[in-house]
Parts: sequence; C-alpha cells; structure tokens
Amino acid sequence: MDRLKIERVGGVAGFGGPHLKSRGEVAVSDLSDADQKTVESLFADPAKVPAAHPGQADAFSYRITRGAKTIEVPEHAVPSTIKNSVKDVLE
Amino acid sequence: MPCTCCIIPNDVLTRLSQDKKLSAPLRKQMVDTVQISHELRELRTQAARLTSVAAARSAGLVTLAAAPSITVYDCKHTQTLPGTPIPKPKTSSDGSVKRTFNQTTKVAKFYQQVFNRNSIDDHGMTMMSSVHFGEKYNNAMWNGSQMIYGDGDGSIFVDFTRGNDVIGHELTHGVTQHSLQLAYSGDAGGLNESISDCFGSMFRQWEAKQDAKKADWLIGKDIMGPAAKKQGFTCLRDMADPAAKHCLAPQPTKYSQITPGMDPHYSSGPPNLAFYTACATLGGYSWAKIGQVWYHSLTGFGPTPNMTMKAFAARTRQGAHTLYPGDAAVAAAVNAGWTKVGL
Repeated sequence: MDRLKIERVGGVAGFGGPHLKSRGEVAVSDLSDADQKTVESLFADPAKVPAAHPGQADAFSYRITRGAKTIEVPEHAVPSTIKNSVKDVLE
Repeated sequence: MPCTCCIIPNDVLTRLSQDKKLSAPLRKQMVDTVQISHELRELRTQAARLTSVAAARSAGLVTLAAAPSITVYDCKHTQTLPGTPIPKPKTSSDGSVKRTFNQTTKVAKFYQQVFNRNSIDDHGMTMMSSVHFGEKYNNAMWNGSQMIYGDGDGSIFVDFTRGNDVIGHELTHGVTQHSLQLAYSGDAGGLNESISDCFGSMFRQWEAKQDAKKADWLIGKDIMGPAAKKQGFTCLRDMADPAAKHCLAPQPTKYSQITPGMDPHYSSGPPNLAFYTACATLGGYSWAKIGQVWYHSLTGFGPTPNMTMKAFAARTRQGAHTLYPGDAAVAAAVNAGWTKVGL
C-alpha cells in the first residue's frame, strides 16, 4: 500500500531537533481525490512546491516521504489530512 | 479556509471547468476563477517586492499613526485567518486575548521608549494578532503580516501567549522584515532567529526591570508544559548556555559548529551567546547600550537579506565605536561576545 511518512519541522520551538519530534503516516488511499492530486503534483515537480510567505518566520514545514523521495512543503500548502496525521512527542 | 490565497487548487478548478456534467455558465466561472486567482497571486508577489523596494526608501514614507492600533482576533481553534475580531480585547474575559493585547501593547511601548521605533514598520502600522489558532497547536509564528498563537497541547507546551518573550520574539520578526529583511536560511536565518530571541529577551527583562546579571536569559520559560518540566526542560533555548541539557532545543555554541541547512532555531545559538556575553561583560541593562548597538545594526543600513554572521559581527563592532566613541567598554564587550563564539 502506498503510504506517506510525514515529519513536521521548524516552528518557534525547533521541532525536528533532538528532543522535539512530530511524526505521522498517511495511506495515500485515505486522502481525498483532490489531496491525492495535490500530493502527486508536489512530488512530480519540486519547482511547484509553494514558497513560504515573504517575511514569514517560525512557521512549520512538513517533510513528506513517499518511497525514496522526500519533499519539504510549507504548512500553508499542506492538505489538512496530512497536517492532522502528526503527533508531537518529547524524546 | 486555509491561510493561503488558494482555497481550491487550480487543478481542481480546471478539472471542474471541463466537467460536462456542470452547466456552461458554471464551467466558465471555474475558468474565470483560475485566471483571477493567478492574477491575485501575481499581485501578492509584486506586493512583497514593493515592500522590499519601499523599505529601502522608507525615509520619505508618511507615518500612518502616532502609535499603532493593537488588534486581536480569535481563530476558535480553526486555521482560518485572521479569525473573529475581538471588539474590546483589553478587557476580554478570555485570558489569551487579554494577555496578547496587553503584551503586544507593551512591546510597542518598549520599541517606542527604548529605540524610538513606531511599531513594526516604524510608521505606526497596526499590530495584529490571532489567538487560539488550530487545535492544541504547539507553535507561535509571524506570517509576514501578523502574529499567530496556538494554545499548546497542554502537555509539552501551554498557551504560547503566556510567554512575553515569545510575543516579543514574534513581533521582532516583523521588525526584521521591515528593516534588515534577513532571509530564513543559512547565516541570515540564524541571525533572523537570534535577533528575535535577543529583542524578545530584552523586552522580558525591560518589563521586569532586570539587568543582565539578574535576567535568566531563557527563551520560552513560561510556555513549558508539565511533560516538558517533568523531563527537566526549563526552556526552549538558553542564550547564556545554548548547549545546556535543560534546553528543549540545545544549540551550538561556536560558529564553526553550524552545519549547512541547519534550522535557524539552532544556528541562532552562537549569535545568541555573543549577545548575552556582550551584555554580561558590560553589565547594566541589556537594552541600554548593547541593545542599542544591535538595534542600530538591524535598522541603520537597509536590507541585506543574505547577511553573514561575520558581517553582522563586524557591523556591531563598528557600531559600538560609532554609537559610544567615548566608552571603550562597550566596544570591548561586543568584541568579547563575538570572540566567545569564534567570530
């Protein structure tokens, strides 16, 4: 089954460092048709990954891994189902 | 509704415009929406370019207001921005709203009284904040136009409006955007984050009337949740001891330890330590002289989006001589700060 591994990084607290992690997984089949198309287009053409808003700071971004490929997408461009899949933990 | 100018993706609109099951007028509306959305995005890109060009020529700009308006909105646990406007945030029964209004007002006062700066853009722009963003959202941010605060999950973090240094930190990102315009990667990203920590900490110290010795120099102490405290974490970052074990986000202490692609919240460690060291070496209030040198370096020269830490260090060293020509101790303190981190 095609699954996406998700890691949320950044934010004012610095998620993705040694102690703060935010991870999740989503089956591609659980995404809506529109969200599947969005993910497809992001993986197909990295140049299409939206840029962060100018001047923005402390926002989260999401590292989405499908197979051997990982892209990093600013939070405002990530479908809600993917954003909601992550859980914040202390390690 | 997501906080972008693209509610429905273009490819969905395009597909719907070709769906013969929909009426011709409706299909035309889809085509029109795609075209208008494209133009709106182009407009936003151009607006960002205008901000950059205008900022470089800001000496001629008209002041919008003598003092900024402070507005607060309630996202009601959605990620829709800005949310519902709160008519009287100063007296709201919602603690997050009231805190945000009061602390943002104080940050405005801090910048006015300490640095003679009129709001984020130095022309009185409205300082806008949204609270209760998302559900159990473990973050606060500046999105290029406003501040956004989450409530925290109640475990790792509590309400992010509880940290007056966090509020000062976020507002300072706006100041940076309207002055030095530092990028958010590489050396510039680390400087961008450090400047927000420096001014966030200075604001916290100013509010508490603490000098450099009395201050704890911790970032995010007041937003630690019970789970974080239970594991011995007292803060996000420690400007006096960036690599300390009590930090949720321990940082490098030397410039040479910064690696390519490092998150700016980690590469900010060395310039944070440089600022702390300069303040601790000189003594007194951090905002009195060292803070003035940092502010001058941030705002006195126009945009340099890809400034290196070495260049910023040189600018502050020069600034110490320029601003305090008769006080060698200031230059010595600034030099001690950067020397400590290998710059």
